[in-house]
Amino acid sequence: MRLKFVFANLVVWLFAVFFLFATASARAASGDMKIEATLIWATNDKSDPNPNHKPVAPKIREKLKELPLKWANYFEVNKVTLDIPKGESRKGKLSDKCEVEVKNLDGAQVEVALLGKGDPVWKRVQSLPKGEVLVFGGNAQNATAWLVALERIK
Amino acid sequence: MDFDTQLKLQAFLDGELPEVEAREVASWLARDAGATGLLNELRNTRKAMKDSEPNVRLPESREFYWSKIEREIQRLEPVAQTTQSVSPFEFLRRLLMPVSAFAVLVVAGLITYIQLGLGGSSHSLETEVAMANSSAFTYHDYSAGMTLVWLPFPAENELAKNGPPATIQ
Repeated sequence: MRLKFVFANLVVWLFAVFFLFATASARAASGDMKIEATLIWATNDKSDPNPNHKPVAPKIREKLKELPLKWANYFEVNKVTLDIPKGESRKGKLSDKCEVEVKNLDGAQVEVALLGKGDPVWKRVQSLPKGEVLVFGGNAQNATAWLVALERIK
Repeated sequence: MDFDTQLKLQAFLDGELPEVEAREVASWLARDAGATGLLNELRNTRKAMKDSEPNVRLPESREFYWSKIEREIQRLEPVAQTTQSVSPFEFLRRLLMPVSAFAVLVVAGLITYIQLGLGGSSHSLETEVAMANSSAFTYHDYSAGMTLVWLPFPAENELAKNGPPATIQ
């Protein structure tokens, strides 16, 4: 009886230690990020003069509606997907003059740099959990705006 | 003969009555043959009970007899304690119970800590470095999982420096 009890205790201990290490390992392995960066043109016009532009995905559109933005339509100019291992950075070209560089700091935080003509013009560090979206934006001519939406999809 | 009279007769036999009452009972016994018979019966019964008791005598003094019993009790007590000594398994079991409970709590806490990423980032850990202008504003919508950073410069002035108007793209 006593031997069984001691054995059961040891088994529980071993399982606990194994589970702890497995969880830690899984977390370490899941430190990689996959981020989708989309350059968006915001306008109140119903159509985009550039036929290569298409309306943004409904998911992004719904998210943008949550923000205090005044534009009625959003068109996707370009989209890049960045696979970023933990501790590394990746650069994505959104247009001839606009690039975004994202560094995966610790699996949870990102350092995002906007580059204009290769020079960093803005840098921001923040946590970006899976499913969350970080949007940079600014006014453009004729009451339009540009947006760079970064969505972490992994 | 009623019950009280019988009790008085028993008290007379035991010598418990006052002298006056004892004389009255004696005169009554001289007159009443039934009472005399009952008295004889009570006397015989008492004698029989007294004779049947075993007359045990201790071979030693009373104090010595009880001191022997006391010493025997004291001698047996340490033996009883020795038989209750804890076995290694029992000791391990007693040790493991609280330690296991504590370990389970610690492991659960660690797992929660790891799973929730409490050791990592939080929304409050945000830094921003403005390369061109610091008058940007940030809007958070935690329920929707959205962060908006509105930069002060128009596209044609900064991101698309020297390019055609409104041509960030």
